[in-house]
Amino acid sequence: MLQFVLDTLLRTADLALVALGLSMVYGLARFPNVAHVQYALVGAYAAYAVQAMGGNLAAGVLLSCLATGALAVLLGMAVFDRLLRAGPAYAMIGSLAVSMLLIALVLGLAGSAPRSYPLAIAAPMALGRARIAPLQLAAIAASAAIVGLYALMLFRSRLGRALRAIASNRALASACGLNVAACTAATHFLSGMLAAFGGAMLAMNTGAHVNLGNDLLLPVFAAAVLGGLGNPLGAVFGALLIAATETAFTSVNVGWLWGEPVGFLPVGYIGAASFAILLLALVLRPHGLFDREVRRV
Amino acid sequence: MSEFLIHLATLAGIYALMSLGLSVQAGMSGLLNFGHIAFAGIGAYAAAIAAQAGWPAAAGIAAGMAGAALLGLAMARLGRQLGADYWGIATLALAEIVRLAATNEGWLTGGAQGISPVDSALAGLPGVWDSAGFLLCSAAGVAAGLCLARRIGGGRLGRALRLMREEPQLAACLGYDLTALKTRAMVLGACMTACGGALLAYYTRFVGPDYLTAAETFLIWTMVVLGGLGSHAGAVLGALLVQAIHAAVPFLRDALGAGSDVAGALRLGLVGLLLLACLLWRPQGLLPEKPGRVR
Repeated sequence: MLQFVLDTLLRTADLALVALGLSMVYGLARFPNVAHVQYALVGAYAAYAVQAMGGNLAAGVLLSCLATGALAVLLGMAVFDRLLRAGPAYAMIGSLAVSMLLIALVLGLAGSAPRSYPLAIAAPMALGRARIAPLQLAAIAASAAIVGLYALMLFRSRLGRALRAIASNRALASACGLNVAACTAATHFLSGMLAAFGGAMLAMNTGAHVNLGNDLLLPVFAAAVLGGLGNPLGAVFGALLIAATETAFTSVNVGWLWGEPVGFLPVGYIGAASFAILLLALVLRPHGLFDREVRRV
Repeated sequence: MSEFLIHLATLAGIYALMSLGLSVQAGMSGLLNFGHIAFAGIGAYAAAIAAQAGWPAAAGIAAGMAGAALLGLAMARLGRQLGADYWGIATLALAEIVRLAATNEGWLTGGAQGISPVDSALAGLPGVWDSAGFLLCSAAGVAAGLCLARRIGGGRLGRALRLMREEPQLAACLGYDLTALKTRAMVLGACMTACGGALLAYYTRFVGPDYLTAAETFLIWTMVVLGGLGSHAGAVLGALLVQAIHAAVPFLRDALGAGSDVAGALRLGLVGLLLLACLLWRPQGLLPEKPGRVR
């Protein structure tokens, strides 16, 4: 049971930060940024590059977060803000183009062979009957701390209040003297940083590879949509739900269904489980689980 | 050389048929369908399975169209109460489920290895007639698709679909049933795309789960947006352009003396760059839709 909880939390830590950033940008800019998962790819490779040049893991992750945040601001201002004037559909298609470009960049510079981080091998710690590596525990703790800090920022700080005001009524917030452009830039920066951090943590386990972003695309979107796009903390909960489904799918013994002592669901369908939850949630609650927006009839 | 050009034209024609399908859905009706490749995949798999069972090609194509039409129906029904962004993501998830099923149901689809060879009457022809026959088929498909799309676009249904794209509430006020309109656009586009997918399977004599990745959907979106959202001739032009870029990449790679990773990066990067440049500087596309000509 404890192992189940740990596995779920580990997967949540992978997904939550990327989904959080995606939802945050949607709340402000009102378009689903497909390129967002590629920021995780760029972040993973940037952290690897720093380590390959002799830095340690912490320095690599920090520099990669800053660089990816800057990249996200740059793309936001140069591409997405311009495309948004033509409409959210154009911005979404533009994010497809950006996502192709980012993959092409990584593929061209680093090649298609996966790169694993040069980490020391550590013995797993035993928590009761469950096993977990110290770095994995650190990753879970770091994600939880970041989500906590983010919630504090959103609900307790001036910047957070400004972000919430802009998300709920952009024109009114602008008319009240809030600097919408600066807040949008700050959101892009934060979302890029969070995605890079998530990508680097993922790469710590699986190594950095070119499909890292593409593999994240559907689970992360599923998490963000489950929580209601534009509701960042909902996205974290969505990530938890997706992670729990995926873990249950692979580790729960369902042999009793067809009368055998040990039986598992076909592991190839692990992705389909979360998409099925997504589709079910969309049919029952078309705007996500935690939607509180009032819609005019 | 002529053999290579014939191959390029055939492939461009097949993709043009798929992008025409998306042009009907996304261009004319404004539906953000990000699971488009699932229709092509169903067409291709139906063709392959029919060929294994010894059916003629026409029956395979028809079976593919029927399967894709069913999926299109399901997608449109699912979209009844969803916002456009949410619906787009739901279609992405549906296409991914189709791909996972194709990968895992090995008894039907051959699993990750796919199905090969996919035989058709055309593949047995001697010499150059083999490829020329496919070129004729794909050209005929594109011509038929273009005629159909234009005819619908100029008629009552096309006007209703464009009204739904621009002013959905007004369309509902005027008494149009939006779900029925969406369903028609989806099924129509799905049939055209499935036909393209079946031709692709017969032409390459192979079908596998790799035909169904989300990246393929994005490629077809690129074709439609390059040509101009809402313009059917533009969708065909876009398909031709993207295929030309893909065909040019190996020459470029040899000129640079680079490896296969760089070639992949060039393919993706050039298409992405073209799409981005088009969106930023010519968002109406290369052959923009001409509103107001329809009476």
